[in-house]
Amino acid sequence: MAYELKQVSVSLAGREVLRDISCTLQEGKWISIIGPTGAGKSTFAKVIKGLIPAYKGEYTLHRQPLPGDSKGRMKAVREIGYVFQYPEQQIFETTVYKELTFGPKMLGHSRGRIEEALEPVLRQVGLPAEILSASPLVLSGGQKRRVAIASVLITDPKLLILDEPTAGLDPLSRQALLQMLREWQQANHRTVLFISHQMEDVAEYSDEVMVFHEGQLLGHSDPGTLFMKNTEILRRAGLPLPEPVQLLRLVEELSGRTIEVDSCRERDIFDKVRLVWEARGLHHDE
Amino acid sequence: MLIFDQVHYYYRKGQPLLASVSFEIQEGEFVAIVGGNGSGKSTLARLMNGLLQPREGEVRLGHLSTRNTDDLIKIREQVGLVFQSPDDQFITTSVLDEVVFGLENLRVPREEMSVRVKQALRAVQMEDYAEAMPHKLSGGQKQRTAIASILAMRPRILVFDEATSMLDPQGRSQVLSVMHELHRQGMTIIHITHHMDEVLEAERVLLLNGGAIAFDGTPPELFRTGTLADHPLDQPFAVRLQHALGLNTGLKADWKEMIRTQWPTS
Ligand SMILES: Nc1ncnc2c1ncn2[C@@H]1O[C@H](COP(=O)(O)OP(=O)(O)OP(=O)(O)O)[C@@H](O)[C@H]1O
Ligand SMILES: [Mg+2]
Repeated sequence: MAYELKQVSVSLAGREVLRDISCTLQEGKWISIIGPTGAGKSTFAKVIKGLIPAYKGEYTLHRQPLPGDSKGRMKAVREIGYVFQYPEQQIFETTVYKELTFGPKMLGHSRGRIEEALEPVLRQVGLPAEILSASPLVLSGGQKRRVAIASVLITDPKLLILDEPTAGLDPLSRQALLQMLREWQQANHRTVLFISHQMEDVAEYSDEVMVFHEGQLLGHSDPGTLFMKNTEILRRAGLPLPEPVQLLRLVEELSGRTIEVDSCRERDIFDKVRLVWEARGLHHDE
Repeated sequence: MLIFDQVHYYYRKGQPLLASVSFEIQEGEFVAIVGGNGSGKSTLARLMNGLLQPREGEVRLGHLSTRNTDDLIKIREQVGLVFQSPDDQFITTSVLDEVVFGLENLRVPREEMSVRVKQALRAVQMEDYAEAMPHKLSGGQKQRTAIASILAMRPRILVFDEATSMLDPQGRSQVLSVMHELHRQGMTIIHITHHMDEVLEAERVLLLNGGAIAFDGTPPELFRTGTLADHPLDQPFAVRLQHALGLNTGLKADWKEMIRTQWPTS
């Protein structure tokens, strides 16, 4: 089971925004997408969700080509949930309650199932139950963001696309949300497509990372390879190394030795760096 | 210069959001404002330039008051707000027109207009892009254009409400460096942000919680004291690094320098 693109290109308003993309999104993985603004990240996500039918190349969902007719297409992509980059792009209802129940209703979930799902999903995104009667218009930036995420999560998607989901969240909520999503994804063997500008979050959470630059897919690998071994791709895309990896490189430079770490997560890097740090005085007397 | 004097605010009666908020920001300060989602930071920003009126208390800018309708026009000119940058914030078709547009509403004379526009574009390092069309710009360039439009109105205070939150890493650092450059030139900067690394670079930080200012001090004080544990904030990377290495020397936003100076030289 997988989502597969073969040599997919997309032109919008006479401009080629995706060029010759071939990739496989395996089920059960957290796949992060990075790249500067305008690199084609959101367009790629929209192709996956079937929102851009006019592409060149091949797109298959679980080995079935994406249907050409809009009805068939909508049915095929129903299992995919999409949290847009700006909450304003997806919030239309007059109350939070209506906003959250809209998606599951469209999918034909029973009233009972929807009502039961409300409380857990609010808890997952950290919203109080009182908010159900509020109008989304008057919510703060971070509250709107949570409503947008909850309204997709409640549909229980097989593939969840998150376009910059943590922008505007306070630090604690951001960590809580990412952890919650990672647990949900792993426990239920779901696929997550996570578009982000935060290299640190990407280094912390991903199984795989895709790097986009000027409409092209420059690389697709595990985060360790991308951030610690094959960093040329990152440089070409004009992206920085995650801060823990920058630290690793600095300490290597100062100590004049290579530090072996097999993970780019902060905790693991701190553990290794601490050893070299503590030995830094002795090192010079050798 | 900017004074909040026992400001109370609610959107709906019986649901107070800000209760007796008082603080003073001096000319030339760089102040970060932090707090959880829904704590009232954007509301504070809107009170600063008179988009909202306090229910009780007063917001003053020098001798002007937002309560005074005659002062409002002046206050809105002097306190510029920069928001998150949505994709479609451009109204016109070129960078230059975008900056001119804001001034036309102010009825600035033609000659002065072109001087102001040039200066504003130079201040954000966009003078080479004056004729560029919006869709050709990167996120950081768009946001810098938005800043230029506000600078052209010659404000004394710039309030950034999560102005870096939608930008890619390059755009973020461009906008931050513009903010710091403007500050060096004497501009008062108020920076609302969820990024603690950015907070560390401010001179002072206000923490909003439960309708009140829960902390007012320097960033190292905020991150050193236990205050943080009671709030939805986290430590900047530099502080986590200090903890991991057992360092307790001066905290710097530039953690690389912190590490270098702690490394013995032979
Ligand atoms: N126009 C409005 N009418 C009613 N309530 C509002 C309105 N605008 C904001 N609120 C409420 O006021 C509270 C504070 O909102 P505000 O936007 O000031 O928070 P914030 O600190 O900027 O949050 P965030 O970090 O999410 O941007 C929130 O609970 C919000 O729902
Ligand atoms: Mg806000």
